[in-house]
Amino acid sequence: MSEALLVLDKVVKRFGEHTAVNGVDLQISQGEFLAIMGPSGCGKTTTLRMIAGLEEPSEGEIRLNGKRINELKPWQRDTPLVWQNLALFPHLSVLKNVEFGLKMRNVAARERRERAMNWLERMDLHAYAGRNITQLSGGERQRVAIARALVTEPEILLLDEPLSALDAHLRIRMQSEITQLQKQLGITFAYVTHNQSEAFAMASRVAIMSDGLIQQIGSPREVYRAPANHFVAEFVGSNNILTGTVVALDGDRATVDTAHGKFNVPVPDPAPIKGDTLELVVSADLIAISDSAGEYENVIAGELISEEFIGSVITLYLDIGDGTVFRVQKQQHELDALDYASGRKLFASWQGKDTYVLPR
Amino acid sequence: MRPMARKVLTQQVAPERVGTAVRKHKVEGYALFWGAPLAVWQLVFFVAPLVFLVVMTFWTVSNFRLAPDFDTVNWVNMFSKGYVIDTYFRTLGYGALAAVMCSVLAFPASYALAFKASPVAQRIGLFMLITPFFTSYLVRIYSWQAVVAENGVLNGLFDLVGLGPFTILGTLLGTMIGYITLTLPLVILLQFFSLSGVDRNLVEAAQNLGCGRLRTVFLVIVPLAKTGIILAGTFAFILCFGDLVSPTSLGSSKPPTLSILIVDTVKQGNNWPRAAVVALVMVLTLIVVAFTAIFFAYRVKKEKI
Amino acid sequence: MSTDRLIAYALRGWFFIALIFIFVPIIINFIFSFSPERFPTLPLGGFSTGWYELILSEAPVPRAFGNSMKAGVIVALISTFIGFAAAYTDYRYRFLGKNFYLALALLPPTIPVLILGLVMLMFLSRVSLVGELYSVVLAHVVYCIPFAMALIRLRLAQMDPNLESAAWNLGANSWRAMREVILPFTLPSIFAALALTMAVSFDEYMIAFFVGGVTETLPVRVLALLQGQVSPRINAIGSVVFTISMSLVILSQILLLSRRSGERNVAAGGK
Repeated sequence: MSEALLVLDKVVKRFGEHTAVNGVDLQISQGEFLAIMGPSGCGKTTTLRMIAGLEEPSEGEIRLNGKRINELKPWQRDTPLVWQNLALFPHLSVLKNVEFGLKMRNVAARERRERAMNWLERMDLHAYAGRNITQLSGGERQRVAIARALVTEPEILLLDEPLSALDAHLRIRMQSEITQLQKQLGITFAYVTHNQSEAFAMASRVAIMSDGLIQQIGSPREVYRAPANHFVAEFVGSNNILTGTVVALDGDRATVDTAHGKFNVPVPDPAPIKGDTLELVVSADLIAISDSAGEYENVIAGELISEEFIGSVITLYLDIGDGTVFRVQKQQHELDALDYASGRKLFASWQGKDTYVLPR
Repeated sequence: MRPMARKVLTQQVAPERVGTAVRKHKVEGYALFWGAPLAVWQLVFFVAPLVFLVVMTFWTVSNFRLAPDFDTVNWVNMFSKGYVIDTYFRTLGYGALAAVMCSVLAFPASYALAFKASPVAQRIGLFMLITPFFTSYLVRIYSWQAVVAENGVLNGLFDLVGLGPFTILGTLLGTMIGYITLTLPLVILLQFFSLSGVDRNLVEAAQNLGCGRLRTVFLVIVPLAKTGIILAGTFAFILCFGDLVSPTSLGSSKPPTLSILIVDTVKQGNNWPRAAVVALVMVLTLIVVAFTAIFFAYRVKKEKI
Repeated sequence: MSTDRLIAYALRGWFFIALIFIFVPIIINFIFSFSPERFPTLPLGGFSTGWYELILSEAPVPRAFGNSMKAGVIVALISTFIGFAAAYTDYRYRFLGKNFYLALALLPPTIPVLILGLVMLMFLSRVSLVGELYSVVLAHVVYCIPFAMALIRLRLAQMDPNLESAAWNLGANSWRAMREVILPFTLPSIFAALALTMAVSFDEYMIAFFVGGVTETLPVRVLALLQGQVSPRINAIGSVVFTISMSLVILSQILLLSRRSGERNVAAGGK
């Protein structure tokens, strides 16, 4: 099997004392939409910049189409970037901004103009061709930035949190526009963001980064339901993590004793023995809640501390003892029957099979 | 829109910024092309002459001829003369006096521009201050001569109300008028830049806590703007300390200032080494003053609890 | 009227007095240059352009004027180029000894012109580069670089920090990015620097006096005349000098103000 389009092979980047990227192995395939996600300072933007040639790796190799590109200067690569703050050229018109990449490749004036206009039409911006970019709205400028990057028809497009400066409404719209664009063009997109819902909505594969390392790569569903380690479990989605010891094993089920009760969980692979410590992940949206006994086999009692409303989803925060907070996420209508008030004792419960055991 | 612009400006300090250090193994021609001109020009035409100044202080003059030497005679000579020491301290005093006077006189004006002027008025005010900045200081002093002379414009006005005539030419007052002409626009500008950067919220908070107008100015605004105020005063000092034209045209060359001393030393018998000693002492003094000023301007006081 | 209003008026009044103090000598100079009398007073006894005609006819003055203009233009070009180079280097690179490098650029204004003049006279005469117009140019460039550098550096600070990288990313090498992106953006400040450094050089008298020797620039001629007798020719020359300097400074300010508001806010992507 031939190598993927873009490969990062044990890439390390140090800035003086600080290691921003600490050994990243990444393979990006042709045509995929990869989101690289993580908290600030995790190294995702540095990784992107290394792909673009704006930083040189301290160690490791970056290969594009099998060829090592570490030493190539940014202008020798074809890895256009859509910048967080767009970096549109203020002294050039919309058309000239979009033409720029072609001009640098010494494409003849007439051809550049045609190709640039094509892209502007595709982005619904042809009416603005002659205007200065200061006269455009945020969303329009966003599209100019994308057109400018795609005009050279690269194999891979890099995007560095391109939507973070937009307001929420516009953001959602642009998200779907970008996703559709990628599907239409079939170009590889490498998209950096710190916004979970954005990454999960747009990408076919998500890489979670922290402390300069990739913690997990997989489809959004995989990462969401089967986090590879504690960090990912905490960072992605809304998960409750409980630590306990194995006290009994019975076929494909195990009983784990935690500070908050004994729970029935599926036996992970490789199978543990009695006495092993396991971390249990219970996703907040798989939990039932009631004010009398628990519905399912694994039950935790707790006192309601607060609630959070986001659209139709309510998140309930329960204090389950010694200050530990337990989250339960429900659709609003599901809670209509429940009488809950602050301080009330409630019972959260979930099915054994819905417990995910973190790999050791 | 504006908060956005400010956010971008502060991004420059983030480590993500463009501008990786020049690679250690080889320096690209591009970097050298842009980096070298300043270094070359200043080293040759600025640093070398200053180094030469130091060297020159050890040369000797015999029979009006300059001879390379290593002799401390000039130093001994200059420092042993009472009037040289006097002149030094006099010039120091004049400079300090001018710096203080100018700062005090400028403050209400810069305060007005920073706090009591609309943005449009501010721009006009700045425009009016900057424009005469680079106009001939020489000619302006010459004009003042005509104004403050015995039979000049000012005395003419005083005469109309039955006062005077006042002697200003040849006095310290004359010199001070000259010094203020030299430094006032700059001092107002520098004070203004610092004052306009003072967070209005802090001022309001002080007033909210019961601080009266004048107290707010001295206890809140001045300390917050102290960087600009100190730098303004320092520049004023530097300019006046080395100025030749005001003391000679409006003041009196007896008793002299250091600048007059240098010029006299050069005129009489071309004694450059001695003039070099005076010049070097002046430069060293200014370096000490500048560093002290910067220290005070930027330091954050530790509270004694 | 409330106390607050009184205070505000008083303060503004003070500002105006300060402006008057600053402009009085300039205005007096203009007025006196048109005096028909040898010793001008106010009110003016009449109106005459005689002094202007006089200075134009006396050879040293037009010659000094020509020298000032020639030197001014060359100084403007060289110091703006070096100032740009230094500002760009400061903007783009981090390196060992950068503080020393910046000090080289920014120290000259902290040294009194008398000393700069003296020091350069000593040095240049030692290497036989003194007494000519190029001596003045060499010395003035040292003095003017900080002004050019400061103006251009300020403009660079307003530039989106990713603009240059964006150009590289789209295929422009360093030189091309400079030509296509950085130069266009900094052009207003470059012109402003040209105007300002020319004004500074045109106006500078002390260094030119020491270093130029028999080659006089216009301010040096004024200095010479000042040591002679009081005469309205000085007023006439002064008026010419004022007009040129102020025009250059005004031009410089206009260039800096013109495009500033439009382009700065474009840097941010949103809204």
